[in-house]
Amino acid sequence: MKNWICIITFISLIYFQSTSASTNRELEIYKNIRCLVCQGQSIHDSNSDFAKDLKQIIKNKIDANESNEIIYQYLADRYGDWILFNPPIKKTTLLLWLIPFSVLIIIAFALYKKTIFKRE
Amino acid sequence: MKTKINILILILLFSIFIYVFYYALSSNTKNNPQVMVNKKLPNIELTSLFDQEKKISLPAKSKDLFYIINIWASWCVPCRDEHSFLMRLKDEQKIQIYGINYKDSSSNAILFLKNLGNPFYFVGLDVDGKNSIELGAYGVPETYIVNSSGIIIFKHVGPINENIYQKIIEIIK
Amino acid sequence: MISSSLGGVSLIIASALTVWTLFLFCQSWLSKTNLYFKNYIFFFRASFVFILLSFVLLVLSFINSDFSILSVYENSHTDKPFFYKISGTWGNHEGSMLLFILVISLYGFLFSLFSNHIEFKLRSTTIFFQSLIQLIFLFFLIFTSNPFEKIIPIPNQGLGLNPILQDPLLAIHPPFLYLGYVGFSLVFSFLLAGLIVNQYDENWAVTAKRWVFLPWTFLTLGIGLGSFWAYYELGWGGYWFWDPVENASLMPWIAATALIHSILVMQQSKKLFNWTAILTILTFVLSLFGTFLVRSGILNSVHAFANDPRRGLFILLIISLITFIALIIYILKSSHQKNNDSSGFIIFSREFSILINNYLLIFALTVVIIGTTYPILLSVFTGDSVSVGPKYYNTILAPFIFIFLILMAMGPYLKWSKNSLSSVKYKLLSFLLVSIFLSGVASVILQKENTIFWLGLMCSFYLIVSLVYEPFYLQFKNLNYARLVSHAGFGVLMLSITLNYFFSKELSSKIVLGQSVLLEDTKITFIESSSKKGKNFDELFGHYEIEKNNVKTVLKPSIRKYNQPQQFTSETSIQSQGLNDIYIAMDYSSDPSTGIGIRFYYNYCIRLIWLGFVLITVGGLLSFLQRRNENKN
Repeated sequence: MKNWICIITFISLIYFQSTSASTNRELEIYKNIRCLVCQGQSIHDSNSDFAKDLKQIIKNKIDANESNEIIYQYLADRYGDWILFNPPIKKTTLLLWLIPFSVLIIIAFALYKKTIFKRE
Repeated sequence: MKTKINILILILLFSIFIYVFYYALSSNTKNNPQVMVNKKLPNIELTSLFDQEKKISLPAKSKDLFYIINIWASWCVPCRDEHSFLMRLKDEQKIQIYGINYKDSSSNAILFLKNLGNPFYFVGLDVDGKNSIELGAYGVPETYIVNSSGIIIFKHVGPINENIYQKIIEIIK
Repeated sequence: MISSSLGGVSLIIASALTVWTLFLFCQSWLSKTNLYFKNYIFFFRASFVFILLSFVLLVLSFINSDFSILSVYENSHTDKPFFYKISGTWGNHEGSMLLFILVISLYGFLFSLFSNHIEFKLRSTTIFFQSLIQLIFLFFLIFTSNPFEKIIPIPNQGLGLNPILQDPLLAIHPPFLYLGYVGFSLVFSFLLAGLIVNQYDENWAVTAKRWVFLPWTFLTLGIGLGSFWAYYELGWGGYWFWDPVENASLMPWIAATALIHSILVMQQSKKLFNWTAILTILTFVLSLFGTFLVRSGILNSVHAFANDPRRGLFILLIISLITFIALIIYILKSSHQKNNDSSGFIIFSREFSILINNYLLIFALTVVIIGTTYPILLSVFTGDSVSVGPKYYNTILAPFIFIFLILMAMGPYLKWSKNSLSSVKYKLLSFLLVSIFLSGVASVILQKENTIFWLGLMCSFYLIVSLVYEPFYLQFKNLNYARLVSHAGFGVLMLSITLNYFFSKELSSKIVLGQSVLLEDTKITFIESSSKKGKNFDELFGHYEIEKNNVKTVLKPSIRKYNQPQQFTSETSIQSQGLNDIYIAMDYSSDPSTGIGIRFYYNYCIRLIWLGFVLITVGGLLSFLQRRNENKN
């Protein structure tokens, strides 16, 4: 019994040692969250207290197996979509995608009209 | 002729662009503190500043129409400035104010209240800042007005000044 | 003390001279003689001298820490190192606006020197417009942002410069940027002049090209420097974040690139007259718009400047004024052009490929404009706020970059005004095979199976291969080195961006003294800490041993505590290993007992990215050195 306790303690010590490093998923999320008290930085880049607190909260949520969507929604509910660097796809952000697409169509059309299909 | 029409469209678009930016300059609502307004106050549990055994949870089961939540700290200079308004809210408006002491040392907080007066019905601790984030705050001071159904009807970021104070009075009438 | 009054007076004299220049020009125009011409060139050049003088006086005020001047008081300090006292001159709104005006004046001055071969009416009208722009900004400066404004009583000490601005690259990067995007004012004036005197034709294009290449080259260098600065200073291991202020410099660059190619077509095929005119106006307007964005306080960015909505308003008015004048002149005069815009482009001719790429550039420009301004527009119309981050730009632009690269490769092999695809069909196909082979090999060696990666590699190789072959194809006669080098630079840039994106690694961790962390095959150990006292800061160094493949290096990032104003910064430690960098930065924590946070980056092929920027800039420079031999190419 004692041996098992030793082994488990030993393994968990190693485990806790290695989790002082941020995982890829954590980094991915941190880079996508804006630090609200900074100028244009993500909470990953920022050294402010607010960024640190948010990182801790997000880390807890990741450890509690919450999905990225739930975490982003939690933050957006409290701070607005502004806090997310990747704009969510909603009615309000539709134009972000529609406008470039429309420009593309206009360009294709203009090009077609200007082209002289001449053989050599 | 066709080119002229295109250009006129361009000028029109450009004028709209200019007007929009002019408007944006004058309004400048970069960070929207109104996100939490009209939403239900998230559930948080607070331990009392004065008594470690005493805990309450918010939203409060209040018989009053409204109550206020104020996030503050003894190290926060603007909190000092707005403190008199909080005292007035307690004394003149007789409204319950729940204070959340943000990332502070308990002894400093207690001293602060001893010197400047205690406007709070209850003071809870937020040692690591998590409770404030739960409520959608990101600094100190911030003030919320919550109604009896637990809906946030007003949120102000920064210290309360005379204007905000009048606004608050209007709302809680 | 004297210098401050002299400086202010100098500005006023410069304005008076500019007004006089305009007056003489109008007089000359009305009397339909060129009697006054020599005079107003003289007065225009004199105005440049006085603007230069006031700028020098401002620099001297900063060097001497003359705190009687408000901007020196607000932005400098006697403890500032000498070099940064100088750069402090333009590290604030007022001083940088003076630099802005100096560049406008400088370009006008240079034009007056190097335009003797141009028909005199065109030449003088260009100077007219340039002086007009100069005057508008001079009034803006003197009345709303005067760098020589006094402060009474005179303070003993300044408020200090932001420590983040105390950096060599950041100090020199604004002048380069200004020599870039402000320099487009000249071709803008040249356009309006050309339209008004009815000399907007292919000869106009020949001259205009130089006056686009010069600012374009500086702008490319300025953007590269800014990117390089962000990389080693900001500490997040990246070089481009699609930050609104970065985008503000990119927008005129894209427009100017399209303009260069449009001018080329105008010169060779006598087409795209309207395009060139619109692009010229657009480039300068975007330059002004970028200035507006970064100074008005409307943006939220790491680079944000002095935030003053009132100044933003004035700049907005100036932009409107200038744009409206330009558009009106364009509308009134474009119908008089003998242009062949209504005729089409023969498919698979060289101008056809340039046209497609210009459309693609416009598309990219639209995406950048939309992404940058969308948050502002949305909050004005709906009160909602969103952010537009890098993923948006990368996702939309990537496929088009690939197409763009391929067209860049094919274009130079096509002939002007002829469907010339079939004669070079086999060569182009063989390039394709070579690039597929090269990218296949690279994928296998680097063990990366990813379509985007492979496409990025393939298209970049395609461009590079076509450029390498071209000298042989042309038998080393009449080579257009400017184009070869700058296009090669672009190919190298895209290649390295692709490689960097897929193979860079990073690690973020808390670490205590003696502890190691592992990132795949790299081990990072915190071995020691030390401290140092600098001129106006205290510095704490962390010594980290990086071990990979049995090679050990020690990097020493630091945290600095500045005194005036009190601020912390994190200084990175970077070491290059071949084409790659290992890079470490420390996070300053309020609670060091939990360990110091470090960020470690392995930046793959980052030096190739800098090479790409350098090559593009060199290509731009070469356009001035090589003789005019683009006739057949």
